[in-house]
Amino acid sequence: MYRLALNMLFGDRAKLAMLLCGLAFSALLMAQQTSVFFGIMSWTYTPVYNIRAPIWVSDPMVEQANDAKPMRDTDLYRVRSVDGVAWAAPLHTSFLQARMQDGNFKLITMVGIDADTFAGAPAVLSQGLIEDLRLPNTVIVDEWGAQLMGRVTKGPDGKDVVIPLKVGDTFEVNDLEARIVGICKVRRAFTGGPFVYTTYDRTKLYTLGARRTLSFMLVEPQAGVDPDKLCARIEADTGLKAWTSDTVIWTWSDRSLARNTFWWFWKNTGIPFSFGTAVALGLFVGIAVSGQTFYSFVLENLKYFAAIKAMGAGMGVIARMLLIQALTAGLLGFGLGVGMAQAIGRAMIEKGMPPFIMFPQIFWATLALVLGISLVSAIIGIIKVSRVDAATVFRG
Amino acid sequence: MSTHAAQPVAVRTHGVDMFFGDGETKVTALKQADFEANRGELIMLVGPSGCGKTTLLSVIAGTLTPQTGTVEVFGQRLDGLSQEELTTFRRKHLGFVFQSFNLIPTLSVLENVMVPLLIQGASHDVAVTKARAMLEKVGLKGREYGQPNALSGGQQQRVAIARALVHEPSLLICDEPTSALDKDTGAQIMQMVRDLSRSPERCVVVVTHDHRIFRFADRIAEMEDGRIRRVVEDASLLDTNQL
Ligand SMILES: Nc1ncnc2c1ncn2[C@@H]1O[C@H](COP(=O)(O)OP(=O)(O)OP(=O)(O)O)[C@@H](O)[C@H]1O
Ligand SMILES: [Mg+2]
Repeated sequence: MYRLALNMLFGDRAKLAMLLCGLAFSALLMAQQTSVFFGIMSWTYTPVYNIRAPIWVSDPMVEQANDAKPMRDTDLYRVRSVDGVAWAAPLHTSFLQARMQDGNFKLITMVGIDADTFAGAPAVLSQGLIEDLRLPNTVIVDEWGAQLMGRVTKGPDGKDVVIPLKVGDTFEVNDLEARIVGICKVRRAFTGGPFVYTTYDRTKLYTLGARRTLSFMLVEPQAGVDPDKLCARIEADTGLKAWTSDTVIWTWSDRSLARNTFWWFWKNTGIPFSFGTAVALGLFVGIAVSGQTFYSFVLENLKYFAAIKAMGAGMGVIARMLLIQALTAGLLGFGLGVGMAQAIGRAMIEKGMPPFIMFPQIFWATLALVLGISLVSAIIGIIKVSRVDAATVFRG
Repeated sequence: MSTHAAQPVAVRTHGVDMFFGDGETKVTALKQADFEANRGELIMLVGPSGCGKTTLLSVIAGTLTPQTGTVEVFGQRLDGLSQEELTTFRRKHLGFVFQSFNLIPTLSVLENVMVPLLIQGASHDVAVTKARAMLEKVGLKGREYGQPNALSGGQQQRVAIARALVHEPSLLICDEPTSALDKDTGAQIMQMVRDLSRSPERCVVVVTHDHRIFRFADRIAEMEDGRIRRVVEDASLLDTNQL
């Protein structure tokens, strides 16, 4: 009987296609909208993602990763002397204006890393060498920046062509030359411009001798030392704030810089609201469309189920038939929808815009929603069949 | 509960009242309906529209439970059975032929005929074998894997009959089985149904408006206002203008 239930579902290709389209469309909408939302939200903690260090230390007033409240350089020594710290390296971040060769200004996010350890350096360079950062007046620019700050010329067909920055090109920051020795691949940030890496010491020059340039300290615990416990010790000993660098925003962890950044933006900006409406709309349309398509499928088959019931099938059998149909359709629709969402997401990642992150949670939540919708439609169908009048069987 | 071959009565209703709704909208469909059908008999139920034919059929089939009266089918009392027990009863003893065939369009002809067997818990293979044999009997060999909608009305009704009989039910219930068919096809179908009724283990009840098929009946029960007015053996005794 259950085999027949599936054959009933697959028997009418046109209707099945409609049903799957409806379910797939809603799964796509739900997964797509939430993934883009979380993609954009994940840009907020890009610094934690790009600058890989087990522990971050900041001024106690700092609330999130894009928020720099510079500390004194001497704080570095205090952190280094905390029991369990293997090493601590300085990090500078600031938003500055870069003056291009053609005189245009571009906003950049300057990152100063420790020249001895290169702690916080970008993981992947597509051009150049990280060591060249030790040469005078040198910087490493990210790929997005290389494009953004590139020279615009007219191509042979009269259209604008961007010639991206490459190793050897120069620009100026506060009238100081910055010579590119590398192009790196890093994730984009939500705020500020492209990342321009230089050494920590040189940032004092580029920022025209700012009194304090120590935005963060990157700390490596000694072997066997628990990062969470070390954070607590650093805070107790120095009065500074210490963060872990795990980028899991879901689990409850007060020390995760990524998580705090994510939720800081959630609470303090309009992004969740403006985007949330789009997500909610996606969810709503998705639920409505898939519920409606499956429900109409159930309605169309109602009289056949009524006949099967008259012929002596118990409600248990009928309920299971409807559930099998619903869950099969739901799973197929979900697979198609999420597959499409992934494909679109991939294509968007290739282009770099907008970001797309399908957390496993989004995957499972979409699955749960689509199956939930199918289940509810099936249950409504089951109730309808259980109430169906004998007269309808004979009237057809 | 036991079946006595000696007892000639297959179906008996006594003092059956059936009404729908209540208060202002209360409709009485059956009023003290007394009906009897014998074993090995093909009996027809006729009467004007709304007189309660389908309702009586539903009561006999155990798909409707009357408010009062007794219903007995092959020695089994249906009144007082729970919904579950009625379902089991239908599964074991009943075959249905509906006016609108009610074939499932998304299943093949063969699968449609398999349904009653599968409901009874037969294995897929057994159901395939039996359904195939039954389709051959109704002259549809070679059409097993087609869709019902690709068949003519007469062929569809034959599929419906194959489905109604594949599990060898004792009581075959037909509501307007020929109304969608032309004269010749209707006669063909009725001949088949009549042949099937010729067994002491069987009984066929047919509701119809179609006077062209009256000749296939052993007896005809005429209904009026929710009760059996009279039972005749010869259709010519009926006032056909009233039907
Ligand atoms: N489920 C129901 N709810 C309310 N009233 C009903 C229901 N089923 C039947 N009736 C009413 O009961 C009466 C008998 O109906 P029934 O269907 O048994 O008539 P019938 O003799 O089969 O008519 P027809 O020849 O038109 O098929 C009618 O007045 C009908 O409106
Ligand atoms: Mg009727």
